Amino acid sequence: MTTDLATLIIDGPIATLALNRPDARNALSIPMLKTMHARLGELEALDKDDRPLALIVTGEGRAFCAGMDLKAVLHEEGAPPRLLTSLADFTVRLRKLPQITIAKVNRAAIGGGCGLTCACDLSVTHADAKLGFPEVDLGVCPAVVAPWLVRKVGPGRARRVLLSGGTFDGARASELGIIDHVVPTLDDLDGAAADIAKRIASGGRTALAATKSLLNDLDGSGNLDEARRCATISADVLAREDARAMLTKVFAKA
Amino acid sequence: MTVRHELNGDVGVLTLARPEKRNALTPEMLIQFTEGVGSLIDRGARVLLVTGEGRVFCSGFDLALCIADPGGDTMRSLLTGLDTAIRVMREAPTPVVLAAHGAAIAGGCAMLGGADVVVSDEQAKLGYPVVRIGVSPAVSAPFLTAQGGPAAARSRMLDPGLTTGRGAFASGWVQELVATETDVLPRASEIANELATKPSWAITATKALLNDLTTPPHGGSGLAASLALTGGSEERELLARAMAPKDHNP
Repeated sequence: MTTDLATLIIDGPIATLALNRPDARNALSIPMLKTMHARLGELEALDKDDRPLALIVTGEGRAFCAGMDLKAVLHEEGAPPRLLTSLADFTVRLRKLPQITIAKVNRAAIGGGCGLTCACDLSVTHADAKLGFPEVDLGVCPAVVAPWLVRKVGPGRARRVLLSGGTFDGARASELGIIDHVVPTLDDLDGAAADIAKRIASGGRTALAATKSLLNDLDGSGNLDEARRCATISADVLAREDARAMLTKVFAKA
Repeated sequence: MTVRHELNGDVGVLTLARPEKRNALTPEMLIQFTEGVGSLIDRGARVLLVTGEGRVFCSGFDLALCIADPGGDTMRSLLTGLDTAIRVMREAPTPVVLAAHGAAIAGGCAMLGGADVVVSDEQAKLGYPVVRIGVSPAVSAPFLTAQGGPAAARSRMLDPGLTTGRGAFASGWVQELVATETDVLPRASEIANELATKPSWAITATKALLNDLTTPPHGGSGLAASLALTGGSEERELLARAMAPKDHNP
């Protein structure tokens, strides 16, 4: 691979997975998700006693993740379902890691990026970051991320957020429960995420993994069938003529 | 008509219109409500806005009617009508915005369980104190449990006290909080108008998915559980006590 669309750095008990497609604000593409899967594979392959205890997930450059790269797949036969299923599989795989995952949301987490944030165990951002699920505004359905938002904030708030579309700032995301820790500015973010990771890594290896696994069982996080069914719903809406016409118009403007 | 429905542009408005009784629900009102939802959707409403005329949204079932019918048929009609009203809101292809100003108590609070966005005010009185009158809130318990989680459902349904709009916001039964009761309807209308501009196919697909993901696990059994208690001696006794003039209460 000539470019490294996602990097994994392991520093003792703390690992960092960084989305690395800064020129596209880390929009999720098929090749990028393939690399992200490969990086999780490396983490999964580590010997049990050498495993990091915490994993920070973040984005290189000007955004955590701008969402799905729909522009790239819209006119390619069969590509939208592949992209959406790959994201569904990735979120379940990420959730099943024994590491405690921390979304370090720098500047923006939109749509699929905000869903990725919710699929992590914990999330931290800065007050003026931009988050949200504007899918319905674009005529698409945020199905692939919906189960993660429901688990994160509960069904009542998930309804309000997903049916309303739009974006909001980090402070509001914190009120909604999408974000667990909010710091004043972007400059404070690295330190805050490192503190959380260190605090987690001070816990017992077995206790952390067992607790996470129990919580996953209780909220159905490992339900791959559901995740894939949701990816199909997103893809079905994306295949509609009216949705495609609307997106084509949006992309032409951008 | 004690429940009015009208189409304002793309927004279908349903109004509980019995302000002199704090919009206390009668069996006829719940039937009119359900018919109104169907009619507004047939006429092309893209969003439904549910509101109440007068000082409060809804004070619950009209208990005077229940007492006048000791056999329990009125209570049974109310419970069945409430169950249907909540379900038609939930199953509507359009989002439902509910303006819970001033108070939403018992059956009025149960209506929140069918809405997608509930707007209320800081000091509104909300709650589900029906155990006090010997009635089981089972009919809507699955919906409210799904809305705000099991902890909130327990405390609100087992403790016959009331909470505030702010308290209900914290527990997830209310999604949008405004300062005073007069701010509720304007804010709810604003949200309804905004939702009406979104592509309807995306909204309908998203709502259907959310319904699917958050279907109450015991959604079907709530009504039967509530009906099972109806017409019993405890209900008759407690209803009579609740409706007795205050100075005769112990």
